[in-house]
Amino acid sequence: MSRLTLEALTLAQSGRTVLENISGTFEDGAITALVGANGAGKSTLIQAIMGLLPPLSGKVHCGVSKERRAWLPQQLALDLTFPMSVEELMLSGCWPTHGTFKRYGPQDYRRMHTIMQRLGLSGLAHRPLGELSGGQRQRALLGRTLMQEAELLLLDEPFANVDTHTVEILCDTLREMASAGATVIVVLHDMEQLAKLADCVFLLAGGHAQWVEPETLLERHHASARRHAHTQAPFISLNLPDVPPCSTY
Amino acid sequence: MLDLLTTLDAWLIAPLTDYAFMRRALVGGLALSLAAPPLGVFLMLRGMSLVGDAMAHAVLPGVALGFVLAGFSLPAMSLGGLIAGLLVAGLAGSVSRMTGHREDSAMASFYLISLALGVMLVSLRGSSVDLTHVLFGSILAIDDTALWLIASVASATLLVLALIFRVLVVECLDPLFLRGQGIRGGLVHGVFLGLMVLNLTAGFQTLGTLMAVGLMMLPATTARFWSQRLEGLIGLAILIAMVSSTGGLLVSYHLGLPSGPCIILVAGIAYLVSALCGRYGSLLARVRRRAAPLETDEHTCKPS
Repeated sequence: MSRLTLEALTLAQSGRTVLENISGTFEDGAITALVGANGAGKSTLIQAIMGLLPPLSGKVHCGVSKERRAWLPQQLALDLTFPMSVEELMLSGCWPTHGTFKRYGPQDYRRMHTIMQRLGLSGLAHRPLGELSGGQRQRALLGRTLMQEAELLLLDEPFANVDTHTVEILCDTLREMASAGATVIVVLHDMEQLAKLADCVFLLAGGHAQWVEPETLLERHHASARRHAHTQAPFISLNLPDVPPCSTY
Repeated sequence: MLDLLTTLDAWLIAPLTDYAFMRRALVGGLALSLAAPPLGVFLMLRGMSLVGDAMAHAVLPGVALGFVLAGFSLPAMSLGGLIAGLLVAGLAGSVSRMTGHREDSAMASFYLISLALGVMLVSLRGSSVDLTHVLFGSILAIDDTALWLIASVASATLLVLALIFRVLVVECLDPLFLRGQGIRGGLVHGVFLGLMVLNLTAGFQTLGTLMAVGLMMLPATTARFWSQRLEGLIGLAILIAMVSSTGGLLVSYHLGLPSGPCIILVAGIAYLVSALCGRYGSLLARVRRRAAPLETDEHTCKPS
């Protein structure tokens, strides 16, 4: 049984139906790319999976406890003027085990330093978040989800405004987490990253959703890019009927 | 040398050793300085600096009603203020949720209604002298009951703040993370606003309803020029508030001026000086940074 299944899900934001009758089973240990044009309902779906938006109808079956679901929001959603260091941000990932009162112990600090090393953040423990580069901040946020030992990880455009070094580290870490069995869902816009990272694609368009093979989507994109060489048509302009559905999911 | 010591004694120590009301005012001021500035730091960091001001106006009708019903009784006026403050905060929150309007517009509307109601109530019953007392405070009137009240509020505030500290910090930075963990941010927000109202009502005896918020916000905004760490901000804000309370009281004693405005003005001077020559973000810091050579960031420039 998969951890995350959507059953005939209909979602609305501010009285407007955004997604209708969405169903799908997300495979454990796979990285799924959530793809769609702006306003297609990607963020709405993430909110529903996180349990923050009650659906109009249908259900999200999620076998992961709330504490082990992690959401990496877009960087703009964070208040970066807040005087918090990398260490404090990462330790807040201990929330599921420590809550409001429990003291952070030596083993928590050890675990944090191991994760920081892995993410290339060594030596930045006491640096305020406001002084980090976009890439370092994104790695620190991923560090928090690693501290959280997330089993379901949702990322909203994690590669926007980050350097190539960070993109590599993020991709490697996400792959490791998936190999360890975590369900990873990433909102992606960039075709190159999609080709590198995604095992499968959940495409949202016109209020509906469909599983597609990454290769199919890439082929379509390249064909469309050749046709619109001057205008550089984005792959997200694809309509659902354009793309044959994937048979595996 | 002896002359200097005598002068210092006459200026700094004698007023406190000679007069019990000065000692009481000092203890009251110091107790407030322990509790109010940390709240101010969080208000500032949450971008709610002016909400404190709005709430300070909002407590007025409650204070006035207490005054009308029980005369110049601190417990009655404080209780009235507390109820009025919580009522305005609650109403503003619910109207904002119901209408979808921003909370600050609802807060502005309610506090203005509240303020007008308060001034009306005081003028119905008392003279303009009473109104001045309520608006600007009076150190002469601090008795043991008032001291107990201030000390209890300060202790309770620090205790509750310590209990909700981690939640408050995480909520300020990333409210969605907290919601994802199943914690209701609204509850934390409510407790925080409650603490703020409690401190404003405790502070109005010394500083008056309108000035009480000054001891909350000015030390916090001043500390911002000197520290970039939360612990540093809180510690410094408390220190600045304590120095301002003591300094302001002594100035008000020697020059025969009202205590509330004196304390706030001393804190105001600290703010202005810090804005000019503080360590972070001040005018001087900006000039210095412009002159400093280019810094390279080894971490962002690392080749991939």
